Amino acid sequence: MILYISVIHLGWVMGKDRLKKILNTLSSPKIFICTIFWMMVLVVLGTLAQKDLGLYEAQQRYFSCWIAWLGFIPTPGGRTALFVMTFNLMFFMLKPAFWSFKKIGIIITHTGVLLLLLGGGITAWFSTEGNMVIKEGEISNVIIDLFAKELVIIDDGNSEYDQITTISDNILKPGSKIESDLVPFDIEVIDYHINCEPIRRLDVAGPEYKGLAQNFILKRIPNEKETEVNRTGITFKVTGAEDVANGIYSMFLAQQIPQKISSNGKEYTLALRRERTHLPFSLKLDDFKKVMHPGTDVAKSYSSDVVLIDKDLSRPVLIRMNEPLRYMNYTFYQSSFNEGVDVDTSIFAVVKNYGRLFPYISSLTISLGILVHMFLRFPIIFNRRRGK
Amino acid sequence: MIKILFILLFCVSCDNNDIKTYRVAKAPVSTKSVQPPTITDNELKWDLPKSWSASSGSSMRLASYNVPHSSGVGDLSIMILAGDGGGIEANINRWRGQINLGSQTLSEINNQSEDRKNSLANYQIFTVVNEDNLDKAFICAIIPLADSTIFVKLNISAKGITEIEDDFIYFCDSFRLGDG
Repeated sequence: MILYISVIHLGWVMGKDRLKKILNTLSSPKIFICTIFWMMVLVVLGTLAQKDLGLYEAQQRYFSCWIAWLGFIPTPGGRTALFVMTFNLMFFMLKPAFWSFKKIGIIITHTGVLLLLLGGGITAWFSTEGNMVIKEGEISNVIIDLFAKELVIIDDGNSEYDQITTISDNILKPGSKIESDLVPFDIEVIDYHINCEPIRRLDVAGPEYKGLAQNFILKRIPNEKETEVNRTGITFKVTGAEDVANGIYSMFLAQQIPQKISSNGKEYTLALRRERTHLPFSLKLDDFKKVMHPGTDVAKSYSSDVVLIDKDLSRPVLIRMNEPLRYMNYTFYQSSFNEGVDVDTSIFAVVKNYGRLFPYISSLTISLGILVHMFLRFPIIFNRRRGK
Repeated sequence: MIKILFILLFCVSCDNNDIKTYRVAKAPVSTKSVQPPTITDNELKWDLPKSWSASSGSSMRLASYNVPHSSGVGDLSIMILAGDGGGIEANINRWRGQINLGSQTLSEINNQSEDRKNSLANYQIFTVVNEDNLDKAFICAIIPLADSTIFVKLNISAKGITEIEDDFIYFCDSFRLGDG
């Protein structure tokens, strides 16, 4: 709708002929063909790169990016190609000649394709995924992201709650300064490594180095293919805290001993961890069940008896393989498990995807469009043949 | 066209949640579920000589102990580091530097070591004394594991080493996993 209003406005400002010329260029099927071809190239390159880079890294470098670097040459990434393709299609649908009852099947089919592309965009921008890990008998409302990390500053001075400030890894880049009213001191990122190894210092560190950084430096090492196993590390400088706490700190993912920093008479705990999302509802795992294929160690199926707790309401739910729980735009799939001595742990893959219905709707629309087109075209073809 | 670009820029810039703050109710006191399992708690075990007592060490240490002897108290630290933790040569030479001794080659260092074995691995014990200042000395054990290395280091005087050497070896030999 916005596009239509803008085009009408432009037509009024620029003149009909000029607008028509621009629309013809932007809606050219050649653009569509080129983007399709380029996507095919990206698919080949991404698939080949996956062998060395791993699935996630290849996906990020070739598809979930605006620019895909082929060596030192910048080329359109998957997002750019799909963005161009979507707008090309939209401009194509703006052409007056497109809107004719005879072409109703083609209109429906193109609308379906447009919906598919828009759904992909919504999924790319707004979907989140992670894991929820619950032991039998425990309750959780936390989703742990598989890829994104966060630097957290926790004020646990209150007896009832923890005040948590999180800094996303989007802004944890070397040289970036974090000065915010939400953060009790200023942070300047010195180094941020996707994968690193703590190495013992051979020299004596200066007094400006605090905590782990006194004895260790974080050495960047090549990223693992399985992104989840990377040990992310950060080195940063703190200013504006108490004099004794100002200095350079290092920490890495899953560090067992958290770093404490004092500022304004309060003690804060800092940690680098996987990004967490707190849901407005919780799941309690009552029982985890595993059924094995007879006489083997291969799991036939596994399921979790959970209780969905939303405020004062609760209801029992069974989550099984291929039978997820869907609630408030979140989908919980039975993903994995850990067997313990006394209690088992169930692992759910949690996906929040506003665009999850788009593939279904667009597929139906495309199918309908093709059927309508065939229905309208068959009599013409039939009559033409009979005329011969 | 400019309007379209503005709308798109607005849509893209809406996602600005890089710094967030929120409150989380404290979890029920159940340290078993909250605390991640540590090597100290669940895996590594050792037997402590009777006269030794636990002390507060730095945050990087797995454990620290006071080791009394006739002329003072030695400071023992246990650390576990990923991989080889920097290697034998680098670590021993760094510790030699701390007691004002020059660096040695790996073969020189190994020549002065004692090979031992505990239930975890074959390991080495190194005794280093500053002959010009007998108060400065250390005895250490480096125990290589599959993906990490345990460093046991005791800062003590030369006289102290002669007194507690047997205890130190007994201590290092007792390292094991679990209750085995």
